[in-house]
Amino acid sequence: MSVQSPAPQKKPWFIALLSALDGIFIYLTAGISTREFRAMLRGDAPGRPNTRLTPHADAFLLHIKPSYYHESVTRFTHTYRLGLLSTYLFLFETITGIILMIWYAPTPERAYVDMIRLLNNVPFGQLMRDLHRIGAELMVGIVTLHMVRTYLTGSYKPPREFTWLTGVLLLVITLFLSFSGYLLPWDQLAFWAVTIGTSMAEAVPPAFVGEIINLLARGAPDIAANGLLRFYLLHVLFLPLLLILFFFVHYYKVVLYGISLPAQEEEVGEDTANRVPANRRVYYLPEVLLDEGTFLLAVTAIITAVTVFLFQAPLEHIANPQQTPFHTVAPWYFYWLQGLLKIADKMWAGVIIPGVLLVMLMAIPYLDRNPSRRGADRRVATISGIVAGVLMIILSWMGTPAYAVQGAPALEVVEKLMPEEKVGISRKIGYKHIPLGTYDTREPITTDDAEFAKLLDKFVHLLEDWEEKAPDFNDPWGLLTVTQDQANLKHLRWEITWISDAGTEEYFKQDYWLHKGSYYWEQYGRKKFGVPEFLEMQNGG
Amino acid sequence: MRSLYVRSFGSKLIWGLVSSFVIVVCVGLTAQTEDTRMEVQTKNWEGRGIENGAVLFANNCATCHGQQGQGLQGVAPALNSRYFFTRRLGDVGQDGVMTLSNYVYLTVAAGRPSKDNSQWANRMVPWSSQFGGPLRGDQVVDVVAYVMNFEETALQQTASEDPFQPFLDVSKPPEFQNIGISADAEWTPVQLAVTSVLPMGDRDPDYLFGALACSGCHDLNEPQAPSSMGESGPNFGTIHELGTYRPEAAADPAAYLKESIMSPDAFRVEGYDDAMPDDFASRMTEEEIDRLVQWLLDPNRVTHTRDAGGNIIDE
Repeated sequence: MSVQSPAPQKKPWFIALLSALDGIFIYLTAGISTREFRAMLRGDAPGRPNTRLTPHADAFLLHIKPSYYHESVTRFTHTYRLGLLSTYLFLFETITGIILMIWYAPTPERAYVDMIRLLNNVPFGQLMRDLHRIGAELMVGIVTLHMVRTYLTGSYKPPREFTWLTGVLLLVITLFLSFSGYLLPWDQLAFWAVTIGTSMAEAVPPAFVGEIINLLARGAPDIAANGLLRFYLLHVLFLPLLLILFFFVHYYKVVLYGISLPAQEEEVGEDTANRVPANRRVYYLPEVLLDEGTFLLAVTAIITAVTVFLFQAPLEHIANPQQTPFHTVAPWYFYWLQGLLKIADKMWAGVIIPGVLLVMLMAIPYLDRNPSRRGADRRVATISGIVAGVLMIILSWMGTPAYAVQGAPALEVVEKLMPEEKVGISRKIGYKHIPLGTYDTREPITTDDAEFAKLLDKFVHLLEDWEEKAPDFNDPWGLLTVTQDQANLKHLRWEITWISDAGTEEYFKQDYWLHKGSYYWEQYGRKKFGVPEFLEMQNGG
Repeated sequence: MRSLYVRSFGSKLIWGLVSSFVIVVCVGLTAQTEDTRMEVQTKNWEGRGIENGAVLFANNCATCHGQQGQGLQGVAPALNSRYFFTRRLGDVGQDGVMTLSNYVYLTVAAGRPSKDNSQWANRMVPWSSQFGGPLRGDQVVDVVAYVMNFEETALQQTASEDPFQPFLDVSKPPEFQNIGISADAEWTPVQLAVTSVLPMGDRDPDYLFGALACSGCHDLNEPQAPSSMGESGPNFGTIHELGTYRPEAAADPAAYLKESIMSPDAFRVEGYDDAMPDDFASRMTEEEIDRLVQWLLDPNRVTHTRDAGGNIIDE
């Protein structure tokens, strides 16, 4: 085309302007001219000398990135970009976390009130909190998966032993980061999870060391103002700084030795990162940058969509040191520790076993002398890895209240129907589906409300189930009395009577109140964007 | 194995655009509904605060004020009361000075410093930990939210439905208490008799025990023992064994009790102040006092549930 029509004559001032603009462009991109940029977009191969490498020398953020990768490691299924994702989530948490810090004061008097104020009065406040929470959970998961991937591909082998070691430290820091953030909302969930967590530190032998560690973490024999402040400072200052330090050590090693190639293309001990054949090179600019950018955009989109439509960060009742919840649980990533604690004593399960596991995990590259990274040669490593994984899952399951924790049957029944925290069936069907009256499980269910009939039916069945399961829970029957104590406030009295093993009649009573305005978001499975019924009524709609 | 590695610039562009679009839509949708969401959340946390308040009220306040705020004659005023929500603030001279919610908050948090001119059996103790009470600040706030939630039903009461009893602690005499407040001119409350509704002479002992506010200080269920001493007055759970633990009463428990009711200062047990009113002799006939003493000393005594007028409703 350009051959047939002669190029239009350009005015000198226009050429001068273009070259000035090009200068600005080069300045902003740290060395890429507009011509080069267009060539990148067209997918042209870089010229010689490769001017696309200039930004890696000139720009700080790019100088820590390699200028090119081996083609084999740029494939998504090789690394799943889990390391990149972990780093990104740390950035994501930092940004959402700083926004949350604006609305938060770490004192027992204010922390919980600030949470409610964030939810009630701050535009996007709930979105930020939900994003921060989901990001934290995801970060623990992604960092763990990153380690699993590295283990299964044998990428920790020489020369990358130290990279692995710092990676394990980063995993530990991530766990503590997530855990230290757990206390900050100052609700029952937070308070008791952290009480359990810090009490494990108490088991460090000898006894006085454990006591000192516990005292240092809690700031007092029990968690209170000092403990909250300490966890806050750990969460927003100390642990992030520590993570940044180890991140750079870790990342420097990753760049130094390159990402390990697929086992078929690389021998153990070979440093192949610096010897990528020219025809296998994929340059960071623009290929990998675009890949990483679109990948992170896609992940952000998924996180945002899930948060907006499905996820809500929990907020239970305000922390009450006087009232232990029915089931106290650690965060899910410490379920395995809680499971261990159920079968071994505190010192073994809380300190010695996790400590030995951690040291062994860090020492894997130094223990595993197998010189091959090929799957066929690593059967023992792979199988023991899978066994360890399955063991962790079993231990985690044992850590949940489903295993070896059982309250009194009557309490369990009421806890299913109307738990002290969370939603339960009663709050799920809500205020308007719980008609006033007295309902006896020995009598046939007579109610016009289908939802309420289901609740009563569940009440009957739970009593039957527990009668079968528990030997000292015979002939139970229940009574639900619903009264209107105030306008918009229903009083649900759950009463259960049964015959004990000894033949005596036993009685259990639990009172709960349900307000019309209490809007348990969780009850809907997904967030509702419409105006709820009670609000319409109050606005006269 | 097919790789997910996207090579073409076009598909990367589409990935990026679609993702950006999703983010913009999600944030936009959130922005659209933020006002509603914040309103819903505000109502939600108000509601949960009232639920928490109900639990605390049941555990700490309901014995005297009643879970439905009906009050207990001679012990604690009604809170689910039109008088309380419309006139009380004026009667204590705080109309326009503070809100009723603040008045309730201060009363719950700091208690009532004085019992001067009050007909209530007990001084209200401070409940906030700030003043040495058992409740944290947030718990006081929730209890106040529960009390203030009586407003809707209280304002619907007619004069005869209002369970209020005139307060004696205000500077105005009872007959002038509700005068001069224009907020509710057509409403003239009927003042209930301070002592009791049933006529004197024929009243059952279990009724008297409640109506004359004995129950405000004397617990009928708890035993009186070194480990379980009634706070304002001795517990009556084991009073049928009075002779065994009170040497002064060993000879004739009935006579001892009767004397204690008619002239409380004749003998006072160590550890209790002179809180017991000394006008019971004039508020009961002698037969009523005798029956009350017999009833108290009966280990199988029966307490009936009664309505505000004193009629038995439990059978």
